[in-house]
Amino acid sequence: MTTNTPLTQPHPLQDRFGRQVAARLSAGASELPYDVTERLRAARVQALAKRKVVSLRTAGAVQASGGAATLSFGDEGLSLWSRIGSAIPLVALVLGLVLIHTVQNELRASEVAEVDAALLTDDLPPSAYADPGFAQFLKSGGE
Amino acid sequence: MATERELSDFLKGVEKRAFKRSIYHVRDEEAALDIVQDSMMKLAEHYGDKPPAELPMLFQRILSNCTLDWFRRQKTRNALFSNMSDFESSTEDGDFDLLETYAVVEGSQQVESAEDSTRRAQILRQIESEIQELPARQREAFLMRYWEDMDVAETAAAMGCSEGSVKTHCSRAVQALSKALKAKGIQL
Repeated sequence: MTTNTPLTQPHPLQDRFGRQVAARLSAGASELPYDVTERLRAARVQALAKRKVVSLRTAGAVQASGGAATLSFGDEGLSLWSRIGSAIPLVALVLGLVLIHTVQNELRASEVAEVDAALLTDDLPPSAYADPGFAQFLKSGGE
Repeated sequence: MATERELSDFLKGVEKRAFKRSIYHVRDEEAALDIVQDSMMKLAEHYGDKPPAELPMLFQRILSNCTLDWFRRQKTRNALFSNMSDFESSTEDGDFDLLETYAVVEGSQQVESAEDSTRRAQILRQIESEIQELPARQREAFLMRYWEDMDVAETAAAMGCSEGSVKTHCSRAVQALSKALKAKGIQL
């Protein structure tokens, strides 16, 4: 039997025979007794449960590393929440400074506007204030 | 990544063949169940996140390794004890098959007559016993190639040998089987 065909060459007859045997085996495998199929089912369920444990364990590892991170902050005396808490006064200070700056700007602008308005609406022309004689007149008049 | 459903369907599809293959190798139902269970667990535990297309190859590899591990463990035991347990398990196997045949005849009210069914079961048993008689590597190559429907390259990868070796193993297995079955007057 081994004389005619080289062993490593693909052989259609050989493949056909192999598939026929496989078909017989498949028919046999599909008729396994109930206790065996149940045990296989139980093994499958157990394996799937193991898969779940793996995914949970992965999540646990992430959690654990998060916990380690929190602990390391704790060593420095600041947890995540205390860091946030300590940032609040700083933020309030900056906001307060910005507010004060804005309010002062507006006040100064309104003061300048009032002076301008007073100068422009007065009977005396603004150029009179630049005259040295007028300044002298005001001084002497004040006395 | 394979979902739980995909993994479950995959295992459901291969478990019976895996069990039978293990039985052909170890000739012990309990050990075969253990091997299949171990293989399923390892696949789910270590490779549960792999894409579904990779699962068949991985499972074949794991199954082969688990079977090898079982043989290694057996080797470390007492040889006499091992032989006795082999003898017992093969006897149980025979009873087991008879019960299986009986259950099939009882359970399935089909057009097939009891005589046909019994003959078919007998042929199956003879094929199975001839497969068990094959050398381990030939049996493994033959079953992976034709029963698991893997191509030569996949079988070679799963067995950890060259494609030429797989072809040689398969060819020798087919020749041995066809010769043995012909001698028993079995036509497929």
